[in-house]
Amino acid sequence: MNQQSLLRQPFLVLWLLSAAISLSATGCGSAGNKAEPTANAGPQRFVFITNGDDPFWDACNAGLQEGAKRSGLAEQGLQVVMEKNNGTAQGQIEKLRQLGSQSDIAGVAISVIQAENVAIVEEMKRLTAKGVAVITVDGDVNRELFPDGRPYYIGTDNIVGGQLLGTAGKQLLSSRGIKEGGYVQFAGFTDNDNARARMNGFKEAVGEAYTELDRMADSMDLSKARDNVRAALVNHPDLKALVGIWAYNAPAIAEVVEERGVRDQITIVTFDAQAAALDHMAEGRIDCMVVQNPFDMGIQTVRLLLAMRTDDNATIMEMFPSQGQPGGDIYTTGLRLIIPDAWEQDANAPIKPADLESAENAGMTEVLSLSAFRKWLAQYGLSSS
Amino acid sequence: MPGTSISRGLQWFRQSEWSLLLAIVAAVAITAVIDSNHSYYERPYESLRDIARNTAMLGIFSLGAAVVIIAGGIDLSSGSMIALSGTVCATTMLALAPAEMMGFKPVGPLVVVVACGASLLTGFLVGTLHTWLITVIRLPPFIATLATLVGLRSFARALCESGTAALTPTKSALINVADPLFKTVRDNVSIPVTVFLLLAAATWLLLSRTVLGRHLQALGGNEQAARLAGIRTDNVKWFAYCFGAMTAALAGLFYVANESVAAPVNQGRGHELNAIAAAVVGGCSLSGGVGTVPGTVLGAVFLRVVIDAVSKIIKTGADVYEGLIVGIVVVLAVTFAQAGGGPRHDRRLLPGALGLCTIPILALLAGSLTAMTSGGWAGVGTGLTAGLLLICLRIWEYRRRRAE
Amino acid sequence: MTASSDIAVAMRGITKRFPGVLALDDVTLEVGRGELHAICGENGAGKSTLMKILSGVYAPDQGQLEVAGRPVQFTDTRAAERAGIAIIHQELALVEELSVAANIVLGREPRTALGLLDQNACERLAADLLAGLESSIDPRSRTGSLRVGDQQLVEIAKALSLDAAVIVMDEPTSALTEAESARLERTITRLREQGRTILYISHKMDEVFRLADRITVLRDGRHVCSVDRSETTPAEVTGWMVGREIADHQFHGQRSPGPCLLEVERLCLPAAEPGRPDRLADISFNVHAGEILGIAGLMGAGRTEVLETIFGAAGDDWTGQVRLHGQPVRFRHPREACQAGLALVTEDRKRLGLFANLDVAGNISLCSLAEATAGRLVSRRREEQLVAGPISQTGVKTPSPRAAVTGLSGGNQQKCIIGRCLLTKPRVLLLDDPTRGIDVGAKAELYALIDRLCREGLAVILTSSELPELLTLADRVIVLAEGRLTAEFSRAEATEQKIMAAATAS
Repeated sequence: MNQQSLLRQPFLVLWLLSAAISLSATGCGSAGNKAEPTANAGPQRFVFITNGDDPFWDACNAGLQEGAKRSGLAEQGLQVVMEKNNGTAQGQIEKLRQLGSQSDIAGVAISVIQAENVAIVEEMKRLTAKGVAVITVDGDVNRELFPDGRPYYIGTDNIVGGQLLGTAGKQLLSSRGIKEGGYVQFAGFTDNDNARARMNGFKEAVGEAYTELDRMADSMDLSKARDNVRAALVNHPDLKALVGIWAYNAPAIAEVVEERGVRDQITIVTFDAQAAALDHMAEGRIDCMVVQNPFDMGIQTVRLLLAMRTDDNATIMEMFPSQGQPGGDIYTTGLRLIIPDAWEQDANAPIKPADLESAENAGMTEVLSLSAFRKWLAQYGLSSS
Repeated sequence: MPGTSISRGLQWFRQSEWSLLLAIVAAVAITAVIDSNHSYYERPYESLRDIARNTAMLGIFSLGAAVVIIAGGIDLSSGSMIALSGTVCATTMLALAPAEMMGFKPVGPLVVVVACGASLLTGFLVGTLHTWLITVIRLPPFIATLATLVGLRSFARALCESGTAALTPTKSALINVADPLFKTVRDNVSIPVTVFLLLAAATWLLLSRTVLGRHLQALGGNEQAARLAGIRTDNVKWFAYCFGAMTAALAGLFYVANESVAAPVNQGRGHELNAIAAAVVGGCSLSGGVGTVPGTVLGAVFLRVVIDAVSKIIKTGADVYEGLIVGIVVVLAVTFAQAGGGPRHDRRLLPGALGLCTIPILALLAGSLTAMTSGGWAGVGTGLTAGLLLICLRIWEYRRRRAE
Repeated sequence: MTASSDIAVAMRGITKRFPGVLALDDVTLEVGRGELHAICGENGAGKSTLMKILSGVYAPDQGQLEVAGRPVQFTDTRAAERAGIAIIHQELALVEELSVAANIVLGREPRTALGLLDQNACERLAADLLAGLESSIDPRSRTGSLRVGDQQLVEIAKALSLDAAVIVMDEPTSALTEAESARLERTITRLREQGRTILYISHKMDEVFRLADRITVLRDGRHVCSVDRSETTPAEVTGWMVGREIADHQFHGQRSPGPCLLEVERLCLPAAEPGRPDRLADISFNVHAGEILGIAGLMGAGRTEVLETIFGAAGDDWTGQVRLHGQPVRFRHPREACQAGLALVTEDRKRLGLFANLDVAGNISLCSLAEATAGRLVSRRREEQLVAGPISQTGVKTPSPRAAVTGLSGGNQQKCIIGRCLLTKPRVLLLDDPTRGIDVGAKAELYALIDRLCREGLAVILTSSELPELLTLADRVIVLAEGRLTAEFSRAEATEQKIMAAATAS
């Protein structure tokens, strides 16, 4: 043993070799790990930080890349990438810090997972102080607590979204002869800004005749989402409606209701259109859904970040015409109410498109039938929204 | 003979912490070079600050994990203890100053001190519970701390929900903490780093220079012999587990400061494994009795440096690969540390049928990792090269064996 | 020299190193076919290591093995078994939770046509083998419930089930009663009639000279000689084993016992599981200052349990009375016993006495660290000063107090543990088989040390499995058999036969 030379120690050799191989492989890899082919080496990045890993964000990513194409990012030495968070505040804080220590960041868009989290806001401000453009998309910070947390927000007006769903829900229930009863709302977190806003909007619009029995959170755990629905069905005998607030809650509700065989007793209204949810709706397991437009969110995000970076005030004024006024820093992307094909022509349908379109949100809300919506999705190569 | 002194020097090198220090320096150097942004050149302060902060937070409860491991036990519940400690602190503050907490106003230093004291007290109680389960009920430490791994987090969530239900208008799964004292801790990385270094110094003093420290090592080395030598092993275990839980409680306070929220659902989830990995990479043996404080400190630094290196090199989507790289690095680091006894003549790396099956696995791993990062052809190439190298190693070993 | 075609097994030039120890140095051994070859040597001479190499447990660093004239290399015990070599270990390698039949067929379980375990075949096989050994053990009984002697029989049956051509027996009678030993010898005769070769490790000269054809002597890892039994005598063989004339230790005659320090009255220790016989039943004895009391008995007779119970290390469910200096005491933890002036040197030092992760000074100072402190911290300098005393008093040979304790020889390790006990300034010293596994030179030094300590006024209780040792050291000897006290002898009355008879009385 004492006579052996350095190279005959297999472990040492193995360690050095594998360390060198793995690190250089990943190092060379990062040069090739681009979403798009680039003209120059080392482009600057716009980074989009999500709150979790829902397919909703894939539609948004498609929008980001479409926006990159339309705005010609590649020629300007820019690219846009999406970082999926793990569903915790700690994850977003760490990512913001990491970005702060990297020198190729041109702009950051983030869907804030906890609206009142001070640390997240502080990290966002630190990035801004370094000259990086920071905006919120889809999930905002608490605007009263942090009035100067971010310059702009792009996203759905979640209160309106909730109200839209609530109105639809009220019409559905009353057309079925249910004048009172209880409903349960399901989301990932109940402290998340967009979840809260939707739930409050729904509650306000559906009216006091119906009681909100519970708001159940599942921390973005899909099996927990299903378990919550089961628990709700068991615990509340006078349950009349189930409301899915986040995208994955829709298939969870539909499947569990199917499993329990109580479809004819429960009204189901949901948010967002995962591919599975669209199938459920086609099979009649979901009554109607309010759909956001993450694709458009992506496009607008790129547009805004580019404008902020290049000081393109014209575009900014166009997107935010009433800057300086309350709510002037919010760009609302559109909402759609999707109804089953059968109701579009049916005079006795529970929801009459005409009623909803005349709401004060005209222009921002559309009512589409399922097949029309699917056609729109196919146009952009999306499977969900 | 020169060969002898080189290999003896190599052995000392491997067995002391210098090799780990060299590994850290090597990782930093490799990152600095390979990173196309050269972030370490252009923004050294931010990277250093982030690594220092994360190391301090990990290191605080890694020291606790190391002490428990040296005493011959194991504590799987550190992550849940972090969640519980943060929740206890936030709930106490909420109970003592509800209006200020909900209004995001300062609660006053006295309230903060009481809340932090409550958290540390909780650590002491949890450590006592562990000791009771292990010494009186005779549960194996793995089982006892596995139970608290799931139990404490659930308890913390229940505490959070019932606390917020009782003290605030709505039931909530988290409690925001906006007090300026916590903000100061969050903004100044020197605070957690100083606390960590002081704790490390105190732990080092304890282990190497006090009677209790000697008894801890004896207990971990040979529990029966320690008992027969007159050491009150139950009391020594009590100390070890309380130390482990209280350091986790202290770390929990820093977690709350760092995230400005006590969120027991996910806070610190899985982090106990990082602490154990740091201790083991730093030289602690899971069979007990062996381990040093400098090793554990360096182990924590090494782990965080590697994680940061992955983020810097892979940039986007780094956390997808983070677990894989950290796993590989930990395996290599501990293997290297264990091989300090010198390679055995009769030991082959790829013996028999097991070795044959291992060749494709390792080649596939190398190939797919490269394919995912650098593209299909690079992956195929790396996989084939790795496979060929391993086959050559197998043939070489086989022929060496025949020759003997 | 036997012709090469008649050689069943040959081991040539075998060298084996363990960390810090050269276990075998160029040993050569030739065993003829069908012969019973005895291998003699003191503890640590390398007999067990050599046999473990032969049976595939270890691989030699250098050297060559030959079976029936062909060179072989064993990668594991299975390869050795396939070559026809089976070993019956001294330390029983049985799985206590499994049945006797399962242990016998372990690793070679018979299967049914479907590939499942054939339970009936297992039990039939086991029953046949046990019947051949004249035993009535039920093959379905749980191995852990058997007496040590019966467990050894199961071990023998296991080796016989291999139908090996070469059988190695490592001290097979160490735990057997006289009747069982006789039965074993009849079995060995039957095996020889079948033409098998037997390698028999033992240091009991009467057995060796009754059974063996040839004798090989090992000493300190080296081969001393190989002779025919008819050409030598027991005294000569013993002389080769030891390497020099054994000085007849003359200690007795000048020790006068003082006042009675420790009295034990009607000590009873129930078994760990209900329904089993008591581990200790109605033991009474006393020991005086300046006196050595020897406790004799077979493995499992209860010697260690007596010491541990007195010392407070055996739980709390014992009955009886223990009086120290006339005052009744009941120690609940070894710490209390230490503080009252007792010290225990444990039986299996690797498992119960040594701390492999501490150095020599750490091992010695462990019980008395309070005296090595400066302020509240342990001072390395003071610690080294503290341990210098015991190191010279016991004669530990170590390069430095900071050396790793695992690098010391067995005898020096034992001296470390004794040194640790001495630092606590005991009045009563309990020694549990202290010279087990220690070479003869170190043994003599330990005897001298114990004698000296005794003259200084300590009361010493000494258990041992070696009768000559007890006869050398002890002033009085009590004998335990299966937990009961069967005899008490003074030095003048005691003989090996009487003690052995009392130890095997059932």
